[in-house]
Amino acid sequence: MSLQLQPVQVATGSDDAESRLVYDDGLLVAVLVRLSGDHGADAGKWYLEAGFGPVDDPHPPTFADLHEAQDWIARQLEPQS
Amino acid sequence: MHQSLPTRSPLVRKLERFTSLSEADRAALEGIGSHVENVPAHRDLVTEGDRPRGVPLLLEGMAYRYKVRANGARQISAYLVPGDMGDLDVALINRVDHSVGTFSPCRVAWIKPETLADIQREHSAIARALRIGTLVDEATLREWLLNVGRRSSKERLAHLFSELLLRLQVVGLATENSYALPMGQAELADTTGMSSVHVNRSLMELRREGLIALTGRTLTILDVPALKALAEFKANYLHLEERGAA
Repeated sequence: MSLQLQPVQVATGSDDAESRLVYDDGLLVAVLVRLSGDHGADAGKWYLEAGFGPVDDPHPPTFADLHEAQDWIARQLEPQS
Repeated sequence: MHQSLPTRSPLVRKLERFTSLSEADRAALEGIGSHVENVPAHRDLVTEGDRPRGVPLLLEGMAYRYKVRANGARQISAYLVPGDMGDLDVALINRVDHSVGTFSPCRVAWIKPETLADIQREHSAIARALRIGTLVDEATLREWLLNVGRRSSKERLAHLFSELLLRLQVVGLATENSYALPMGQAELADTTGMSSVHVNRSLMELRREGLIALTGRTLTILDVPALKALAEFKANYLHLEERGAA
């Protein structure tokens, strides 16, 4: 699986704006937002601002970097055995 | 925040908001906590699946009821402040169905169910006040359900902070607009069903709008009417003015 990332700015109502739309084969599956300096130890991490379909999570995770985020999203999209 | 501890038992202070107590009633309540235990922060007072060991009465500190999923996700469903108790009728069940943890170091009195039953039999006003307390616990749970299900991130925190202000004032642990908030953002997140990220953003918004100030672990509500209005906070469910009711 290959995910495509598109840089965007998201109006989160905070300083967390730098974001990526994550597409899987042309379909939007997630929005990742980079946490600003307001988040202390989590600053610079990527947060699952929104996930769609199987990527939705009531306990949205944060990731150290975009690779980790993409690995996690890819796992959610794998067909359930 | 430096505040002297209430001179009377927090349970007396709380129950006197529900009904008038005689000197004998008060004396019975003051003596209720003979087995007092000091519990550090972040410990379980009660763990789901345990056999009930009695009814915990919180004398100092703050605790919370919670349930946890297999993946570690946790939902906090109630806060216990001084004067609050565990379930009165816990002796009727074999295993507890949820856990109770401490946010801060707590002093806890463990009350034997038979002691509680004796007191309620001999003191009708206490029995009445304890039953009102149980109704308030249930009403608070309904209010929290509304909070988690139907309020925005900012409104959820505004509601929680408004409620705590009143509940802590009853037991003399809040000024007119300020109190110690022992829980961190992750715990606020587990209380309000949000992520820590959203809690952090919402706290910053509330600060930016001049509604709250959070310094260390002290919360100051800078505009109490505005915070309550934001949350549509109505104190009716706490039934703090029942004393006159027959």
